Amino acid sequence: MSYYDVDAILTDAQKVPCTFELTVPGLGHLEGNPGAEVKEGTKLELPLWLAQMLAITPAGTKPGMITLDLPDSLSQKVTNALRADPRTVELRSLAPHFFNLGTRMLDLFEEEELSDLLTESFKLRAKELADHAHNPRGALGEGAEFLQGLDENERRLFRATHEGAKAVRAWLVGMQKK
Amino acid sequence: MALPLPPGLTPAEVAFLCEMEMVTIVPRQRLDGLELLGGSIPPLQPPRRTDIPLWLALLLKRQNRANIVPPPWLLPASLANILDVETEMTEAFSSPPPLPPSAKGSEPISPPFQPSCTADASAHALPYHWLEVGEVLLDAASDDFEEPDLVRRLIRDIREVRLSKLRAGVEVLDAGGGVQMNGVGGLEVAEGRAFIGGVIDNLRKLGASKEQTRKEREAEEERNGYSGAGADDYDDDMEL
Repeated sequence: MSYYDVDAILTDAQKVPCTFELTVPGLGHLEGNPGAEVKEGTKLELPLWLAQMLAITPAGTKPGMITLDLPDSLSQKVTNALRADPRTVELRSLAPHFFNLGTRMLDLFEEEELSDLLTESFKLRAKELADHAHNPRGALGEGAEFLQGLDENERRLFRATHEGAKAVRAWLVGMQKK
Repeated sequence: MALPLPPGLTPAEVAFLCEMEMVTIVPRQRLDGLELLGGSIPPLQPPRRTDIPLWLALLLKRQNRANIVPPPWLLPASLANILDVETEMTEAFSSPPPLPPSAKGSEPISPPFQPSCTADASAHALPYHWLEVGEVLLDAASDDFEEPDLVRRLIRDIREVRLSKLRAGVEVLDAGGGVQMNGVGGLEVAEGRAFIGGVIDNLRKLGASKEQTRKEREAEEERNGYSGAGADDYDDDMEL
């Protein structure tokens, strides 16, 4: 991931649920009462870049100032749905950068099962995606619903695959016209 | 990114490269031998069959000075055979043409330099530029085929079968797995590159943390192994 990668920045800006491990004065505006303090044990949603730094910075006797939780888009409900059939889950509505977020979460949590599940889901969805990408009508065909649920990475993959097929088709047609 | 083109060759570039392939023609007019940078062209004497590069053959064909002899694998019977093989083999692609036995002392010749589209090529295997040569010949010299429409249909069928195999291959992609891609043609590579490359890149990202954990564990085990005493190793393993 490069420093100026917009997708990486947007991934970092997604919010994750955190629990404060210590009382912080003056941060009350985060939960809607300015001037007050954030008490220990408060649950708040913080952007990933901030949460990650706070979670790994030791505070006193605690390993981190906050503890991270898996975001809603990777909750039990979603993983169950992915396990049942990855192709029917609308990842885009869960998180626009679903797989990037998943990768970041896997860096922070050691969840082998989640890693395997995401890999399997990606493969199955990629296969479905390729079938749609070879459809000359592109995203307008019958797969429109599935294609709207693609996350950013998958969209880019879809575009690239579609371009490849389109270029070959264009070459074939162009040659016959000559 | 200076060029708006994706990495790899575009179909037009692949097709341009395939014009280097040698094809067999039956000349209709005499032509003296040509000394070209890419090699010399033998003198053409009708009706003696001669092997010349595809680009020259196309030029002569358009001027109606030669007929192109379709390579044996482009005949309906061989294409139908290959299609059967492709449909039966659900995992791999049909094998590329066999390499000729190399003469002693010389380097072995491999596909780009091995004449695979001439009249004496193998009839049971698709060469590297099969799709491009097939389409170009069907377009420029369809009157040299006995059943151009049948050939065209068979080529489309084979292409579909192979493309779907290329797509299905992503399912077995994994850290240790791979797709058998022997015998995939130039144009097919150009078409599938973006998809396969993209899938592998994404899978690599998803698997990166797992890979990291595995490496750490292996390094740990290695350290324990070097530390010597067997009893200690057991204790360490239990902690893991």
